[in-house]
Amino acid sequence: MSRQAKRKQNPELIPWRLYVVVGFVMLLFVSLVARAAYIQIIEPDKLRHESDMRTLRTTSNQVQRGLITDRNGDMLAVSVPVRAVWADPKHAHDQNAFEDMRRWQALADVLQEPVEKLVKKVKHNPKKRFVYLKRQVTPAVADYIEQLKIGGIYLKSESRRYYPAGEIAAQLIGITNIDDVGIEGIENTYNTWLTGTPSKQKVRKSRDGRVVERLDIVQEGENSNDIVLSIDQRIQQLAYRELKRATEMYQATSGSVVVIDVLTGEVLAMANTPSYNPNSRENLQSHRMRNRALTDTFEPGSTVKPFVVAAALEAGTVKADELIPTSPGWMRIGGRQVRDSNNYGDMSLSKILVKSSNVGISKLALSMPVQQLLGTYQSMGLGNYSGINLTGESAGLIHDRRRWSDFERATLSFGYGFTATPLQLARMYATLGSGGVLYPVSILKLKEPPAGQQVLSQDVAKSVMQMLVGVTERGGTATKAHIDGYPIAGKTGTSRKAIAGGYGDDYVALFAGVAPVHNPRLAISVVINEPKGDKYYGGDVAGPAFAKIMSGALQMLNVEPISKREAVQLASAPRSAE
Amino acid sequence: MGQSSLNLPRIVLHDIWQHKWVLLLSIIVMINAVAVVYTSHVSRKLTSQWDQLLQQQDSLDIEWRNLLLEEQSQSEHSRVTRIATKELNMSRPLPKEEVIIRAQ
Repeated sequence: MSRQAKRKQNPELIPWRLYVVVGFVMLLFVSLVARAAYIQIIEPDKLRHESDMRTLRTTSNQVQRGLITDRNGDMLAVSVPVRAVWADPKHAHDQNAFEDMRRWQALADVLQEPVEKLVKKVKHNPKKRFVYLKRQVTPAVADYIEQLKIGGIYLKSESRRYYPAGEIAAQLIGITNIDDVGIEGIENTYNTWLTGTPSKQKVRKSRDGRVVERLDIVQEGENSNDIVLSIDQRIQQLAYRELKRATEMYQATSGSVVVIDVLTGEVLAMANTPSYNPNSRENLQSHRMRNRALTDTFEPGSTVKPFVVAAALEAGTVKADELIPTSPGWMRIGGRQVRDSNNYGDMSLSKILVKSSNVGISKLALSMPVQQLLGTYQSMGLGNYSGINLTGESAGLIHDRRRWSDFERATLSFGYGFTATPLQLARMYATLGSGGVLYPVSILKLKEPPAGQQVLSQDVAKSVMQMLVGVTERGGTATKAHIDGYPIAGKTGTSRKAIAGGYGDDYVALFAGVAPVHNPRLAISVVINEPKGDKYYGGDVAGPAFAKIMSGALQMLNVEPISKREAVQLASAPRSAE
Repeated sequence: MGQSSLNLPRIVLHDIWQHKWVLLLSIIVMINAVAVVYTSHVSRKLTSQWDQLLQQQDSLDIEWRNLLLEEQSQSEHSRVTRIATKELNMSRPLPKEEVIIRAQ
């Protein structure tokens, strides 16, 4: 007993127990440390990978296509972000998305499509991973769809192009396809400039989806660039309205207007009819989408007569005050006949242009070598690209050959036997207005006027301008193109359209000119193709539209109208030459 | 008095004093560790704020684009002309009716 009690009072150490306990504790710690070391030092990659899988995300920011504005900053094309609705049929099947058909009905209602069609699209191929349900839905609709929470239905950002100007500048601006790639006009030509690439970046996101760390950039993006056109939307709108009116009034097949700034060669307006609405892609017709002002060529008719006079003056084969006999009002050249509507007798150069005498102008053309005439045409931009650099531009056709019959030389002088575009025609008159300086045509707004090329001497250009004043005065061929306050140097043209084997019954009615004569600012060409009514003369069909556009545009540009006294002086100038 | 020489607190303090630099360094390490945690927290908060601002910028940009479209369609020249002529009975003066005032 006592021994036992004694042992109780002084317990003896049992060493092996202690060792076991200490051993276990030590083992615990060692294994913990070893495990920690293993995770952190020997094999950290696996857990890092696991963590990255849960937090690392690649985000890409959407870059909107660049804006297209006119010279005053008016928007001509704007991209707005929209969403595309797409489905992953496999996910949809996995998540039993077809159980709640009410949601599908709601989706179909908001997308305005029959529900069977939508369901069929997704249900049909359960192996498929991607199918578009609807593209370019508005953000409001997209939010609604997001809240429907249908399994396997997702949204994707994309952008939609809007054209506030609508049909007014449709052919010039062009359109993009549904994937935001420019397929027509400016959108096509400057597609790479307008398109940006999205940048991709690795980010770490927290549990609630917030970005907490920005890591490296996966793909360097590129911002899109804007384009400022030389177009003045006010003039463009006016030009389109007047052109449309003229096209409808004379039941023409098509029409084009080009307005060029004489001082810089910038295009201020370029309109075509018939046009289309670029904001609705349902019924696009390719013939409406063509920018006829630079793709379509025609024989320019009498509108080139001033340049024959200029060529003759330049060549020195005629003097400015010379009288050309045109009696009896017709002449025979190589077995063919050239005739005027009247017998005008002896005519001054000015009167030849004012009355548009074919006989007179043919005599001028025959007085100089044909190369001189063709050279003048070509130096003013015919048969060559204008420098506007848009897809589909036509250079026109001007034959370059050695042998010309006399009759062919005569027809060259009144605008047959070669073709030009409305743009080239306007450019020729702009050259006349700028004192014989040919500028490259630009559709982009220029910071400073480009280097021009003197292709006609200044005196010749000035005197031809003076001769043309009479065209819109009383007794001229285009009294309807007259504008009070802004004297015009312009010329009518009416050319028969060539068909296979000769000339048909259709006409092209033209008017081209520069104004104001004393201080030229604008050159405009109006081309009405195939007017169907009783009237088909350039002065009747294209003249009034020209006058409306010219006077309106000059007013918008704050060009000072001429005073009464100056007008009298100017009007008397060409008469003194007669 | 042999017992009094074994005053534990004093020994502890003495010991601490002996290793004061180690102790100081370890305190600095602790502070540093906390500071690292704090700074990374702040940086994450700022990053998330930045991200939110970027998102806000995006949505403002979308709104701007939509407003731009609205402005363009409202101020479309033919619409302005129509309202001016039809509703406000205005008309564009002919060139001969214009009066030029020259700025001196």
